[in-house]
Amino acid sequence: MAMDDFHGGLVCTQDYCDGWMDGETERKTERINRYLAKLSSVGSIRDEETCERLRGLIQRQVQICKRSVEVMDAVRRGAQLAIDECQFQFRNRRWNCSTLETMPVFGKVITQGTREAAFVYAISAASVAFAVTRACSSGELEKCGCDHNVHGVSPEGFQWSGCSDNIAYGVAFSQSFVDVRERSKGQSSSRALMNLHNNEAGRKAILSHMRVECKCHGVSGSCEVKTCWKAMPPFRKVGNVIKEKFDGATEVEQRKVGSTKILVPRNSQFKPHTDEDLVYLEPSPDFCDFDARTPGMLGTVGRQCNRTSKAIDGCELMCCGRGFQTQEVEVVDRCSCKFHWCCYVKCKQCRKMVEVHTCR
Amino acid sequence: MAGAIIENMSTKKLVIVGITLLLFQAFAFMVGGLLAPSPTTAMPYTATKCVDTVKHRQEKKWFMPWGPNRCVKIQSFKEAVAQKIEANNIVFAVHIPLPNKEMSSWFQFMLVILQFDIAFKMYNQIEDGAMVTIDVGLAYRDDTVGEWTQMAQSFEQRKLNCNFTTTKTLENEGRFYECDLMPFMEVGSVSHKYYLLNMRLPVNERKKVNMGIGEIKDIRLVSIHQNGGFTRVWFAMKTFLTPSILIIMIWYWRRITLMSRPPVLLEKVILALGISMTFINIPVEWFSISFNWTWMLLFGDIRQGIFYSMLLSFWIIFCGEHLMDQTERNRFSVYWKQVGPIVFGSFCLFIFDMCERGVQLTNPFYSIWASEVGTELAMAFIIVAGICACLYFLFLCFMVFQVFRNISGKRSSLPAMSKARRLHYEGLIFRFKFLMLVTLFCAAMTVIFFIISQVNEGHWHWGERTVQVNSAFFTGIYGMWNLYVFAIMFLYAPSHKRYGDEQSSGQCITGDGGASSGEDIQLTTTITRVDGPTEIYKMTGKAAQE
Repeated sequence: MAMDDFHGGLVCTQDYCDGWMDGETERKTERINRYLAKLSSVGSIRDEETCERLRGLIQRQVQICKRSVEVMDAVRRGAQLAIDECQFQFRNRRWNCSTLETMPVFGKVITQGTREAAFVYAISAASVAFAVTRACSSGELEKCGCDHNVHGVSPEGFQWSGCSDNIAYGVAFSQSFVDVRERSKGQSSSRALMNLHNNEAGRKAILSHMRVECKCHGVSGSCEVKTCWKAMPPFRKVGNVIKEKFDGATEVEQRKVGSTKILVPRNSQFKPHTDEDLVYLEPSPDFCDFDARTPGMLGTVGRQCNRTSKAIDGCELMCCGRGFQTQEVEVVDRCSCKFHWCCYVKCKQCRKMVEVHTCR
Repeated sequence: MAGAIIENMSTKKLVIVGITLLLFQAFAFMVGGLLAPSPTTAMPYTATKCVDTVKHRQEKKWFMPWGPNRCVKIQSFKEAVAQKIEANNIVFAVHIPLPNKEMSSWFQFMLVILQFDIAFKMYNQIEDGAMVTIDVGLAYRDDTVGEWTQMAQSFEQRKLNCNFTTTKTLENEGRFYECDLMPFMEVGSVSHKYYLLNMRLPVNERKKVNMGIGEIKDIRLVSIHQNGGFTRVWFAMKTFLTPSILIIMIWYWRRITLMSRPPVLLEKVILALGISMTFINIPVEWFSISFNWTWMLLFGDIRQGIFYSMLLSFWIIFCGEHLMDQTERNRFSVYWKQVGPIVFGSFCLFIFDMCERGVQLTNPFYSIWASEVGTELAMAFIIVAGICACLYFLFLCFMVFQVFRNISGKRSSLPAMSKARRLHYEGLIFRFKFLMLVTLFCAAMTVIFFIISQVNEGHWHWGERTVQVNSAFFTGIYGMWNLYVFAIMFLYAPSHKRYGDEQSSGQCITGDGGASSGEDIQLTTTITRVDGPTEIYKMTGKAAQE
């Protein structure tokens, strides 16, 4: 059902992350988080042989993997980034991305494209672009920026005219690696079209929010000479943008115009979606109840809710009208802490009683 | 009438000269726009978080972020927490440039800017006025395998100017603060191929070092250098312009010395303008390709400063010498009131520059803006210089206004004057108006192009070609002021044409050589300095006024 799509969309999606595990045991019910964690402990994907062992990648992706092994580490980090961000953005909703944890890696049938699927696809494509760009700027990748898209054609390249932005490489890589799954299926299915659109929308969320920063360095530091560059927005910002697009996503259907198939808004009175908007094909289920037949459909039983809120995190909506229990719990909290900028905190323990509301 | 060349030139010839100059001007713009790449490149870096496993190191160790001898690194500080690594053992390493690239001395200079990614945490916020202390080292090497040689080592303090744009609630934890860019490093020559920066942020609770600076997620750097292609085009341009200005300068001064009278103030000032232009033009930068001259950046600033103050002084003196109020000037001391602000203002900027770029010669990480006192001092210098500039422009505007008032006064009395006197004044008015027009044109061009280059993204697409607007601005404006100085020296050089029986229009027959130089009957090249027969006119002028 719908749930499958989420996982279908994550970078590790439709399964190719699964393969990164180690390929020996096919544990389809492995939790995504667990195997990603495992993946990060596996160390980096260094040689081309690893690409072969990564199951779940389609043939074209294995080729890309072999061609650019060094990038795969960044892709892996991107996947983790996407999951973290998804869980953060959806922490107060009925579907809170954590459902992925208990979900089988393989979905049954990936035919439905809900809003949530749109979000997951977008954030995944964005996270790959983001992580690869980051890796570029830290020098992990050898063929970033300069070798691609050097503005001003000249033999000397870097020495003559410098490098182009790393983001161009990151986005191009995301396009070739993430989109290739959909493209290989052929662009005929509406689901492929939707995924491609949302992937692109995710990357646009980075591209259209690049910050331009400038530095003046003329005579005596005057602005006679000014150099500007584009800086990537923090990923939290990208997540927020995509979440906003999620809230305003457009329901679409496939229509044939001439020989090409395109997606158009189902309701013709809505204005057509732009490249940056998310689109979906099916309305989402309510995510209220546990469904044994749909892996990952956990329902909201036992979820914490906010009694005072009227929004989706409020007990009313979160518990789907089933009501909630209130418990008084003693919480051991950290207080009057002393922080270092990294890695070290010295705190006292404070105990306090907190009311916790959980859905029935 | 024997005045400056400009008065004696036929309109046709003047137009030809004008068009030639405009062609050169267009050429200068095109060289920058089409041939050169953008003037500078900014390269972003993310510092690699290396782990220094040895507690107390005896000798300096350099940490490489990538490559064969890469350091033990962590991806995020979550790992550091898990492995119980302390802040003092984390080294941020940045290798400039990125892999498979080499720096080159064609890059001329390198600036590095520092940025912190600091996540908002409800209970670990950035304190007000937080300072970050960075223990930084810079090293270089010229091959990929050799040892690193230390170039500089310093403890630097920078103020964290960060603000959090959304509300400070638990909800927004994890969002980043928006921090100002921090100037970090500046080197005046890039004579090595590889550079390595190692930074530590040592924590000392007792001394309150690096406390209350929030939760640092990443350190990002941006290095800016001049593009090699632009440097080459720029050098070529300078190499071409130097002899042009030099030749016209020698020619100009020869003309002056050939006259019977000693040179007047205005002529000397024009020569000084030529000299300062040549001073800028001389492509000493060629040496920076093979020598490690870090002071080149400072030297360039000084050269530009001298030219600007010379140009501003020239305008004032030119206006003053065309005042036509029959006051004897022709002495530099007369203009102390107007030139004073220029000298004082540029002196202030010089001191400021010495404090910034001068100190950077010994410590590339130094920034006057980093300390409280330094910032105030720097601001003081800049404000004083600004006031001087305002004062100067007030004086200049007032003088120009005076000249125009006198011109309109003279206009009405022109028909009543004797022929020679009328020609003299007409010549003056023409000369003044011409320079005024050209100057205004040049100034307007500079301002317009400056604005375009500031507003624009830096390059335009023009069909297949990319036009580098910023480069066009630099080469175009540089070429323009060169042409300006060239034109002034050429057109305001004393004419050899004999004043006598030609038409009163001030135009004359072409092809007059410099043969008659010995018996020049110069009316005057400036209004006040008169020699020989012009004394009469001066007296008659006085009489007429009375």
